Amino acid sequence: MDISAIILIAVALFVVYAILQYNKLVRLNIRVDEAFAQIEVQLKRRADLIPNLVETVKGYASHEREALEKVVQARAASTTASTLPAVAAADGMLTNALRGLLAVAEAYPDLKASANFLQLQEELATTENKVSFSRQFYNDNVRNLNTAVKTIPTSFFVGLAKVGEREFYEVEDPTIRNAPNVKF
Amino acid sequence: MTDFRAMQSANKRKTLALLFFMGVLVWFIAYVAIAAFGGTGAGVIPLAVLITLVSVWGSYFASDKLVLKMTRAQLIIEADNPNLFNVIHEVVIASGLPMPKVAVVNDPAPNAFATGRDPNHALIAFTTGLLDSMDRDELQGVVAHEMSHVANRDTLVSSVAATTAGVIALISDILMRMLWFGGSRNRDHHGQQMPIFLAIIPLILAPIAATLLKAAVSRRRESLADATAVSFTRNPAGLRSALEVLARDTTVVQARSNAVAHMYIESPLDASAASKLFATHPPIQERIAALRAMEANPQQ
Repeated sequence: MDISAIILIAVALFVVYAILQYNKLVRLNIRVDEAFAQIEVQLKRRADLIPNLVETVKGYASHEREALEKVVQARAASTTASTLPAVAAADGMLTNALRGLLAVAEAYPDLKASANFLQLQEELATTENKVSFSRQFYNDNVRNLNTAVKTIPTSFFVGLAKVGEREFYEVEDPTIRNAPNVKF
Repeated sequence: MTDFRAMQSANKRKTLALLFFMGVLVWFIAYVAIAAFGGTGAGVIPLAVLITLVSVWGSYFASDKLVLKMTRAQLIIEADNPNLFNVIHEVVIASGLPMPKVAVVNDPAPNAFATGRDPNHALIAFTTGLLDSMDRDELQGVVAHEMSHVANRDTLVSSVAATTAGVIALISDILMRMLWFGGSRNRDHHGQQMPIFLAIIPLILAPIAATLLKAAVSRRRESLADATAVSFTRNPAGLRSALEVLARDTTVVQARSNAVAHMYIESPLDASAASKLFATHPPIQERIAALRAMEANPQQ
């Protein structure tokens, strides 16, 4: 085999390798986008449950204005958020507001015993867990992407793939971050 | 090891090493076959490979339906058990896997298994005994362990191990019979590199070695499933508590044969296993200790 054939093969192999690295970066980036969409799906599910929750609590504890107001306002804020920091901030606010409302509900035995409320509680608990897991999944994917972007040799192809590091989804309350199975 | 990621890497490396050794064993037996039995020996190899491939890979492909029948599991839908489906759905989100089919086995012994040729055709099943004896966190630990088997393609890995062990066993079996009935002894006598009687030792030992390696692979995959489960739930206490419940319970599932034993979260056969080396699961106390170590050092 003469030298030009060897060079040709080497170039071909390099092109194949470049394609693989490019695709890897693009794929990881898409996964991060999908994971963020998943967070938004779960946040929307939670937001949809809230009007029913607020009405049920009002039925038994209508003078708990402050707690109810906080939830309603936080929910309104969450529907307008679109960038990641805004979504995360609204998410944190609503989680806290919900916690506050359910803590208040503890003092009303009639409310706690109502079938409606019990079902809502399970729905909320599982939705809160799903929100939490979707945040975790998003951060896992960001970690994978950021690692690929920063480590050699994949880092050489970052410019070609037009892919960069992404930001983690940070929620304000540290107890939320560390307790995926939130129990109200 | 207190770090689930390190545990995952270690178990994956060990699996590759074990599968490599099994591959080496196949080549060695093939060598013995050709060296001691000449042309006839060489002919046995493709026959053994074909028979094994058809039987193992046939069952791998239809594993979800086959296993349903063998364990008498009943498929269920969300309306049948919404709380179970919520728990599974949460793990589905944490893992990024597609939603598997879910089944229930009517059996008071607590146990669970996962199967299916790939994550898009996965099936996870739980006994009524398990659903009744676990709280939410424990159940989620078990669900995460089973989904880990799906994520790590353990049906595929164990099929590869089973094929390799099967080929070795079949080649040895056929050649031993030929030896016994003096088939090729009088033909091909010249040009043979190995006298036939010398072949006896590897032919007897190789299938045993293959079974031991297959069991070792199974144990690594169980350990890997425990670590991967923690990577999904980030809650080692849940699975640890579930294993403690299983360790206390002494009843055993009814539908247990060698074919399905390896898939269960707690091996239904290990009580009769001759020694730890043939066990399909690491000792349950070891698994509990590993999870406790992770609880002591929580990580994101």
